[in-house]
Amino acid sequence: MLISANELTALLKRVFEGMGYTPGHYEDAAALVSWLQLHREDGLGELERALDLVADRDRQANELVAEGPATLIAECHGRSALNCLPILLELACVQALEQGSIRVEIQHCHNRKFILKLLADCARQGLWAQARWENGHDPVRRHVARIEAGAAYPTYREYRLPDHLPQANRQSLTLDLGTVAHPQPELEVGAAREERCVTPADFTLARQQALENGTEISPALWQRLNQLAEAVLVESSERSRSCAGGR
Amino acid sequence: MSTPSVLESGLPEAASLSMRPASLVMDLERLGSLHQSRLSFMRSLVRRIMRERWQIEPQRFDLDADGYGTVIYRIRTRSDLFSFVLFSQYLAPEKRNDRVIASEWDLTMALCEGEVEDAYVDYLRRNVPLQEAGRLDAKVMVLSRANRSVRNFDSVVDALAHGRQPEIAQIAKVGYLYRTTAVYGSGKLGMADWEKVSRKHPDFARPFAAEMFTCFMLRNFSLQQAEFIARRRSPATAVALEPRLKRYFGIGNSTGLGMAPYLINHPQLISRWVEMRELALARILASAPVAAERLERLPQLVDRAIRHLEENFTEDEWQTGNNQRVLADLQALHEHLDRHPLQSWQPLLEWAQRHASLQGEELINCILLELHPDLVDELEDRLALPEQLELDPEMPVIRLKALIETSYDWALAIDFNADGAQETFWYRSEEKQEPRLGNCSLDEGREKQMPLGIGYLVQQCYQRITEYLAEHPQHKVARFLLRHPEQRGIVRRIQGMALTHYGEIRANLLDRDVLPMHLLRCKLSFFGVSKFDPRSRLWVRNTMFQGAPLLEDIGHPFDDDWFLPLAPTQEKS
Repeated sequence: MLISANELTALLKRVFEGMGYTPGHYEDAAALVSWLQLHREDGLGELERALDLVADRDRQANELVAEGPATLIAECHGRSALNCLPILLELACVQALEQGSIRVEIQHCHNRKFILKLLADCARQGLWAQARWENGHDPVRRHVARIEAGAAYPTYREYRLPDHLPQANRQSLTLDLGTVAHPQPELEVGAAREERCVTPADFTLARQQALENGTEISPALWQRLNQLAEAVLVESSERSRSCAGGR
Repeated sequence: MSTPSVLESGLPEAASLSMRPASLVMDLERLGSLHQSRLSFMRSLVRRIMRERWQIEPQRFDLDADGYGTVIYRIRTRSDLFSFVLFSQYLAPEKRNDRVIASEWDLTMALCEGEVEDAYVDYLRRNVPLQEAGRLDAKVMVLSRANRSVRNFDSVVDALAHGRQPEIAQIAKVGYLYRTTAVYGSGKLGMADWEKVSRKHPDFARPFAAEMFTCFMLRNFSLQQAEFIARRRSPATAVALEPRLKRYFGIGNSTGLGMAPYLINHPQLISRWVEMRELALARILASAPVAAERLERLPQLVDRAIRHLEENFTEDEWQTGNNQRVLADLQALHEHLDRHPLQSWQPLLEWAQRHASLQGEELINCILLELHPDLVDELEDRLALPEQLELDPEMPVIRLKALIETSYDWALAIDFNADGAQETFWYRSEEKQEPRLGNCSLDEGREKQMPLGIGYLVQQCYQRITEYLAEHPQHKVARFLLRHPEQRGIVRRIQGMALTHYGEIRANLLDRDVLPMHLLRCKLSFFGVSKFDPRSRLWVRNTMFQGAPLLEDIGHPFDDDWFLPLAPTQEKS
């Protein structure tokens, strides 16, 4: 079924609010999922696959493990990017603007693809940004997204790594940020084979089409999300009806 | 990482002109005293339709003798084409419910892009009458429904069928044939997003323009339907509505609490609407000398306002009292003007501030706006803006604290420990997610309340900041939020709203005695409704487009003068 962007975001806000995300966080999480979905990068699929992970109110909070003059290492304790990345990216942006550039290592974080929207936010603040993470088993895929300062969209590439290559850091993500005065590091792909490249033009077109025609969601997932969103609703009673602004 | 403001009006004069301060303007009771003005969305929509001579014609008018069936209007604007599709069906009188939780209506309708093919009309017929229980697509821009006025519809049809015009006294009491209870747009139920509508269809790129147009079309259909039924019922004797009387019919609206959260959740937009209204007023006050014909027209509009109020009918004691006070204000003003002819507007404003009630003062402001279309009307294009509350993590925490002290002094001044200060909570009911008010000591669900108590949230945030600064006086907001992630939403709001001229509505919405009516009236006045008729402190009936031109008036000379419409005098036959 087709849904609008506004409807998608509004529903996701209620879903995350119902999961216990506080104001400020549920809007961010909804925006991250919507962004991927509206740019044809399957935000809803990513969310559906990770629904058990994103309701992580019982997980340990984000932690800054180490801070150097040009580095930041954060431990997310298995949290979803939906609730740990925005706040870490903001801190990284502040450091990058102060120092010129910074490398951030984020450990034990799920759903790292949601960083794509945050890269666009960094670019809007006048920073270039590059994110790299690996995912999957046999084959392992490397994901790289780069954006220029001031650009609206990143270029996002997926590479297939040579078979049987062990993954060094499970669920980690490396992020480089910098001002235009500092050069963006060269992309190191080694023996990796490029399988997919999404350009800024592709993102632009996807967004235009989603706005023109709506975005697709499976009725089953739509129903599931609506059920999750019911957590924000209060049971009705005769007394509550009398306080509803009606007769 | 400070973000360029998307909020500033872009008019340098907004900084140089002397505008009323936010402490005065954003007071909730004052916002609840506003009236329709030239800047209201209905007024600017009608100006556009008339100026650009939109061609609006029934493409299909399939109604049976009782007025049930399908009607499609084709709307050709200067550069675009739309279809207004309407389904009329029998509704048992006992099912006429003004609440959002109703499930059947007399009329349901949709405003669509382009032409609609038969198969698409069938799709709409399967979904539009279901309203929230149906699904639409991005070709549809607005969905609405309406109920017949029990007090008016049958008697008007009956009069016309017998060759008579309806009684004006009755129409003055209830100025419409149908009342709408919901007008949905902006992507709800699968419809086109506002971003699409505003980019692709400039005709509807102003706030709520497509929604207001839907109500305008409903009003015109209601009149055509009544005439049609009368003709079918009694072809030999039926007459059409006399044009002046016909224009005096509006469309009814019934608004409940659903509108209230909108004002809190779209603070940048509300600030902009208020800013443009205040800017218009400031321009008028700064313009000198005032032309003689404008000074002469003032008493005429004051007279009209008096007559309009005298024709205003409400059973609500509170609103009756308000109307009586405004009447007294205007009568006093009339006498004052007789004794002290004006040379400029400043003495008028000073008189209003000293002698008039809030509603009276704001009505006088609207009259001033009415006298200066040259200074007011162009601001209608500045009422829309991309809403975006941006977090500024680079801001030093100490600056955030100072920001709260200057922009939210009103919130810090509220005593939330006072009796009743936190007694109300706002929540969404499981019934159609309808917003409702709860009482903390009587109702369940406080833990699920919507975060609408902005003053309370700001005060809590301020306390956390004060404690944090004692330890980390040099830190920036990014680090404060790492320690206090629960403050993320309110910090973003404080920073974002600091870029606006008028910012927040200044009230404790958690107070036991909060009057949601003020919030409803504020938004409705920007829509352009008139004749507020509260049914409780939680919902209000009102009239839209009363006095506006009719479809058949398009193409004829138009004087935008339907402000404060008056009942026409009845011809004696």
